[in-house]
Amino acid sequence: MSALEIRGIRKSYGSVETLKGIDIALQSGEFLVLLGSSGCGKSTLLNIIAGLAEATSGDVLIGGRSILGVHPKNRDIAMVFQSYALYPNLTVRRNIGFGLEMRGVATDERDRAVNEAARLLQIEALLDRKPSQLSGGQRQRVAIGRALVRNPQVFLFDEPLSNLDAKLRLEMRTELKRLHQMLQTTIVYVTHDQIEAMTLASRIAVMRDGRIEQLGTPEEIYNEPATLYVAGFVGAPSMNMLQATVTGGKLAIAESDVRISLPARYANAAREGAQMVVGIRPEALRVATGAATDLSLPVEIEVVELTGPELVTTARIGTQRLTACLPPRAQVAKGEKRSLTFDEAALRLFDPSTGKALPATGLERTTSH
Amino acid sequence: MSSTWMTTRAWLLMLPLLVVMVAVIGWPLVDTVGLSFTDAKLVGTGGDFVGLDNYSNMLSSSNFSRTLVTTTLFAVISVAAEMVIGVLAALLLNQEFRGRAILRALMILPWALPTVVNATLWRLIYNPEYGALNAALTQLHLIDAYRSWLGEPGTALAALIVADCWKNFPLVALIALAALQAVPRDITAASLVDGAGPFNRFRFVILPYLAGPLMVALVLRTIEAFKVFDIIWVMTRGGPANTTRTLSILVYQEAFSFQRAGSGASLALIVTLLVTLLAVAYAALVRKTAGSAA
Ligand SMILES: Nc1ncnc2c1ncn2[C@@H]1O[C@H](COP(=O)(O)OP(=O)(O)OP(=O)(O)O)[C@@H](O)[C@H]1O
Ligand SMILES: [Mg+2]
Repeated sequence: MSALEIRGIRKSYGSVETLKGIDIALQSGEFLVLLGSSGCGKSTLLNIIAGLAEATSGDVLIGGRSILGVHPKNRDIAMVFQSYALYPNLTVRRNIGFGLEMRGVATDERDRAVNEAARLLQIEALLDRKPSQLSGGQRQRVAIGRALVRNPQVFLFDEPLSNLDAKLRLEMRTELKRLHQMLQTTIVYVTHDQIEAMTLASRIAVMRDGRIEQLGTPEEIYNEPATLYVAGFVGAPSMNMLQATVTGGKLAIAESDVRISLPARYANAAREGAQMVVGIRPEALRVATGAATDLSLPVEIEVVELTGPELVTTARIGTQRLTACLPPRAQVAKGEKRSLTFDEAALRLFDPSTGKALPATGLERTTSH
Repeated sequence: MSSTWMTTRAWLLMLPLLVVMVAVIGWPLVDTVGLSFTDAKLVGTGGDFVGLDNYSNMLSSSNFSRTLVTTTLFAVISVAAEMVIGVLAALLLNQEFRGRAILRALMILPWALPTVVNATLWRLIYNPEYGALNAALTQLHLIDAYRSWLGEPGTALAALIVADCWKNFPLVALIALAALQAVPRDITAASLVDGAGPFNRFRFVILPYLAGPLMVALVLRTIEAFKVFDIIWVMTRGGPANTTRTLSILVYQEAFSFQRAGSGASLALIVTLLVTLLAVAYAALVRKTAGSAA
C-alpha cells in the first residue's frame, strides 16, 4: 500500500486545464520532488494534496484512504510555504505549537514537542521572539518546525528555500536532507531548482504544462532523460543537442561533414535516413589527444569561461553549437580548432518529431545502480 | 545638500499654507480664547473681563455634565457599533460571490450622501405618522401603535445612534476591506492546515493585519462622533427634553440661542481640549499597534 497515491488528478480553472491527469504513487519514506518551470502546475498539485484546492477529477489517497472532501486539518499532512506564512503576532514558540494548540493538545505535551523541534532545528534561542525579529533562514526554520511538531503522514513543501540567498539555501538543503534521513517521513517537495531536486529527491517528477514528463530517480532523470524537454531541463549547462541524420549506419551531424558511429544499442530503432537529435552532456566531453576516431567531434573554440572547478567551453561544429565542461587546466583557447571526444555510452538519441528518447536495446545502459 | 538648507526649504515651501492656517484657524482661536474670559453677549459691547468664571460656571453646571454623558454615550455606542458592523461587512464582502462588486459599490452610498440628506431620510423613516419603521414594526406585530421615535426621550438617542451608524459604518468597512487585501494567502492556508476555526483564524491571521488600519478608523470616528452636530441638529435639535443634546449642540445653544458669546467660547474651548486629549491618547495607541503586525 502506498503512503500517498495520486490518481488521475485533473484541475481546470474555467476553460483552462492546469493539471491534465497526474498519477503518482509514493512508498512510505519517499522524498518526491516536483520539478518544473514556473506555471506548470506544481503548487496547484500540492494544494490539491493539502486540500487547499479542489481537483476537477481524480483522487488522492493517504495510507490507502481517499482524502477528497476531508478538511485540510484532518488530512494528516503538514505544509511549509515559500513565504514561510508565520503568524505575525505570535512568538516563535506559539507559531511552532499552533497546530497542536488548535488540536487541543495539553500545554506540557505541546511544550515538549516544540522544544524538541527547536532543538532539531537549532532555534531554541529564538523561541520567545516574534517572526518580525527573525532572518529569512530563521523564519524558514520556524516554518519547518511548525510542520515537524505535527508529526504527520506526509510533509508538503512548496519552494521552501526559494526566498533564501544562495549560501543559506545550500545550508538549509543539507539540513532538510538530514531531517528526512532521520525522520523517514514521506515528503512531497516543489521546486524549480534542479540542483535541489537532484540532491534531495529519492524520486523526481519532472512536470511540464500540467503533465508529468518523467518520473524517476535522480540518476534516471539525469542519465536516461525520457524526452528532449527533460534532457534540456535537468543539468547545467544543459545537454548538447545536435541535429543529425542516420546515414550509412552512422550519425551524420547536420550541415557539417562530421560522422560519428551509431551505438549498437540504437541500431534497431534508428532507421536509415531518419532525423535524430544527438544528446551529449557537456560533462561527458573531453579534448581528444590521439588520432581522430569515429567518436571525434572537430570543433572551433568560441568562448572559454572559467567557473572555478571547470572550464565551460563553447565551440562550433558546422553551424551548431556545443558546450563542454573541461577540467580547469585544459589547454584550449578561443579560435582554436580542436577535436572533442566522448564515450559511446554517454550518447543519447531522441526522435525530433516526437521529442522522445529512442528506445535502446542490449546491456549498455549506463544508469548507475 | 546640507540638512539645514533642506529644513529651511521645507519651511519655505510650507510658508503659504502656514499663513493661511494662522489666518483662518490661529487668529479665530486666539480671539475665542480672549472671548472666553469675558461676559460678552453675541451682539453689543465686547463685555467685561470675568477671569475663569465662565469656565468654572460651565464645568459645574448640570447642563454640562449631562451633555458630556450624552455625548460620550453617543460616541462610544455608535463608534463601537460601526466598528463591529464595518468589520463584519468587510469580512462578508471579502468572500467571493456573485454580485460582490455591486454590493461593494452600494455599501459606500450612505457614507457618500451628504449628512443632511441622510438625516432627512431617517426622519422620514422614524416619522410618527407615516414612517417606514412604524409600518414595519406594526406589520411584524412588535408594536401596537405608531410611536414617535425621535419625539420620546427614551428612544431619541438610540434612534440617532442607529442613523449615525448607518451613515458611518461604510467608512470602517472600506478601511477594513482594504486591510483584508493585505492578509497573505499563505498564512490563511497555513491556518487551515493547522486546524484553526473561523474564530481563531480571525484572531491570529486576520486581526494582526486589521488592527493598525482599524485603529486609524477608530480614532477618526471617535473624534468625529464626539464633535457630532449636523445629523443631530437636523433630526432632533438636541431634543426631546435635551436627551440628544451633545457638546457641540450645547456650544451652539449657549453662543447663538442664548447669545452668551463668552460662555459659549469657554465651552467650545473645553470641547476642543477634550478632543485634543482624545487625539493624543489615540496617537499613542496607534503607534503601539502599528508595531505589532509586521
Ligand atoms: N486561482 C487560480 N485561478 C486561475 N488560474 C490559476 C489559479 N491558480 C493557478 N492558476 C494557473 O494555474 C497554472 C499553474 O499554477 P501553479 O501555481 O500551480 O504553478 P507553479 O508550477 O506552482 O508555478 P511557480 O513555479 O511559479 O510557483 C498557472 O498558469 C496559473 O496561472
Ligand atoms: Mg508555485
